Amino acid sequence: MTKEKINGKSHGKYWKLEPIMHPKSVAIIGASNNPDKVGHVIMQNYIDAGYDGKIYPVNISSDGSIMGFKSYKSVTEIKLGIDLAVIAIPAQAVPGVLEECGKAGTKGVIIVSGGFAEVGETKLQDMIAEIANRYTMPVIGPNCLGVMDPRSRIDTLFLPTFKIDKPTIGGVSFASQSGAVGSSILDMIDDEGFGMARFISYGNAAVVDETDILNYLAEDIDTKVIVLYMEGVKRGKEFIEVAKRASLKKPIVVIKGGVTEAGAGAAHSHTAALAGSYEAYEAVFRQYGFTIAKDIKDLLNYAKIFETQPLTTGNRVAIITNGGGTGVLATDALYKNGLVLPELSETSKKELRKVMPPIVNIRMPLDMAGDADDTRFSAALARMEEDPNVDAVMAIALFQTPGADSRVAASLIHYGTQMKKPLVVVSMGGSYTQAHKRMIESSGVPVYASPGEAADALAALISYSRYLKVKGVRGKGD
Amino acid sequence: MGELLDYMEAYALLKRYHIKSVESTYVKSAEDAISFSGGDAIVLKVLSQKALHKSKSGLVELNLATEKDIRSAFSRLERKAGALKPYDILAQKMLGKGLEIIIGGNTDQQFGKLVLIGLGGIYVETFKDFALRICPISRYDATSMLEQLKSKSIIAGDAKAESMVIELLMNASRMFYENDITELDLNPVILHDGTYDAVDLRLLR
Repeated sequence: MTKEKINGKSHGKYWKLEPIMHPKSVAIIGASNNPDKVGHVIMQNYIDAGYDGKIYPVNISSDGSIMGFKSYKSVTEIKLGIDLAVIAIPAQAVPGVLEECGKAGTKGVIIVSGGFAEVGETKLQDMIAEIANRYTMPVIGPNCLGVMDPRSRIDTLFLPTFKIDKPTIGGVSFASQSGAVGSSILDMIDDEGFGMARFISYGNAAVVDETDILNYLAEDIDTKVIVLYMEGVKRGKEFIEVAKRASLKKPIVVIKGGVTEAGAGAAHSHTAALAGSYEAYEAVFRQYGFTIAKDIKDLLNYAKIFETQPLTTGNRVAIITNGGGTGVLATDALYKNGLVLPELSETSKKELRKVMPPIVNIRMPLDMAGDADDTRFSAALARMEEDPNVDAVMAIALFQTPGADSRVAASLIHYGTQMKKPLVVVSMGGSYTQAHKRMIESSGVPVYASPGEAADALAALISYSRYLKVKGVRGKGD
Repeated sequence: MGELLDYMEAYALLKRYHIKSVESTYVKSAEDAISFSGGDAIVLKVLSQKALHKSKSGLVELNLATEKDIRSAFSRLERKAGALKPYDILAQKMLGKGLEIIIGGNTDQQFGKLVLIGLGGIYVETFKDFALRICPISRYDATSMLEQLKSKSIIAGDAKAESMVIELLMNASRMFYENDITELDLNPVILHDGTYDAVDLRLLR
């Protein structure tokens, strides 16, 4: 018997998630007038987000109206066709309700409720998988936050709006096995100033798993960068098949939780002792061009450069700075990452000599002195853009200095968004700096809090560009 | 636990995949070993399913240069191996000094067969300097595995050494991938005099 038959996935190897991501109608099962209920928060989020499809609150004890909407005792009463059902009721009642969703012809389901395999209730979870497969109905969850999509304004997250900064529209999609990691990242994404395409928290993956989601995001036109948090993979071979294809289409940043030692002590060969389960994951990620993040901060740092900056296979990074010491630290950070400083062209040297004051040494890193203003920044950026020996630029702008003000931010924005080479900005400091960081980032130029983080991000971008080149895919920067 | 493939069977399999290993044979007696040595220094090893870590159990006798050395080593090994029946005694030509690397293979329950290269010998588990990929690997994969090693400059110091190691890695990966083997340890493979020899072959079914 083939794998597809076992899974009952007569629609192919991978679940189609379109109805879940772009539903024209949503049934919220467990909706309630009681603000303490998860179903209430979800309803409220749909209303707040301005979702323009049909909303059907469902609650077995409803009296005809919930939060101002006509309500139903069961999905089978709706009879108008349901694209998505969101289930937020106690676990024991879920299989029965899911069966009703199947009967009502629901196109996709998200089970927010916990109380399944994560607490040992594997039988209950198996029932869910069986029903989903029987009706060929994609189900995300259980034990998850569900999905959020700022474009189609769907939001099944039971996180009250006032507690979380929800991100703006953009190109980064995020899939997370863990709801907790997912929601804190969501909160941080907004602060990092980049926008989101889709957010999918998939929990126990009883039916739809990471491979289905990766497959969906690979084809999704709004997704420019895929960010994954995963603890494991359910279908290794299929995951590889999708990973191979997906990473040629868009960058994938991954973090793997659960770094396990697979019985290293009991291994009977050196290789088995070294090649544990985490190492196998890492091998897959490296082999298929994923960018591996070591912690959550890395995920965001990598995502923002990939979202906005062009690719380049060259590793000559020009540093321009208004702080000497920071330029030296940045140089160290480049070389630690296998990147190098360029030898500026003769034209660049000549042109820079004309515009920089005598105290400025015309060499890399270019220390434009503590009083550098937007004129110097603009002149230097213009040269770096032209210079054929420069592949990418790291601009260090310390806003504490007398010459650095909003005009410097404006020139960084100008070049960072126009230039065909990647530009990253390093800026660190208090509230004045933070205000400028936000200006620069919201315009689509990544800002990093240290030269080390900026160099890591550039190295990741270059490494991915080289992967594409070897695989015969031409990037924008080639 | 997997079953250890007979050494001479493994030796033949490597040969089919153009992987060089040090000249070896089973010996039944000290006389056999002396005639195999032909005046060269040799190594004697006890091989048994019951003793997978030979060097830890003192079942290896190195650098046996004279007939006298061979005779006394042979009888020492026979005595120690008594409890490990059935066993074989393997004679190998002694190699000079070189750089020890490891080429390995493992089967991951999720992703299937993986191939490994790293700094080998006694340093394997101290430095844990290795790279791993899913089989089958491409030339690009093999190259990027070498790139990943901190010890790349000593393992593949020049272009010739690099292409030799890449060839070896790709052949080993193909052998591991195409045969009914679940684990592979070529440790060490000794890089010496512009060539290499696998010295210890541990293939588990």
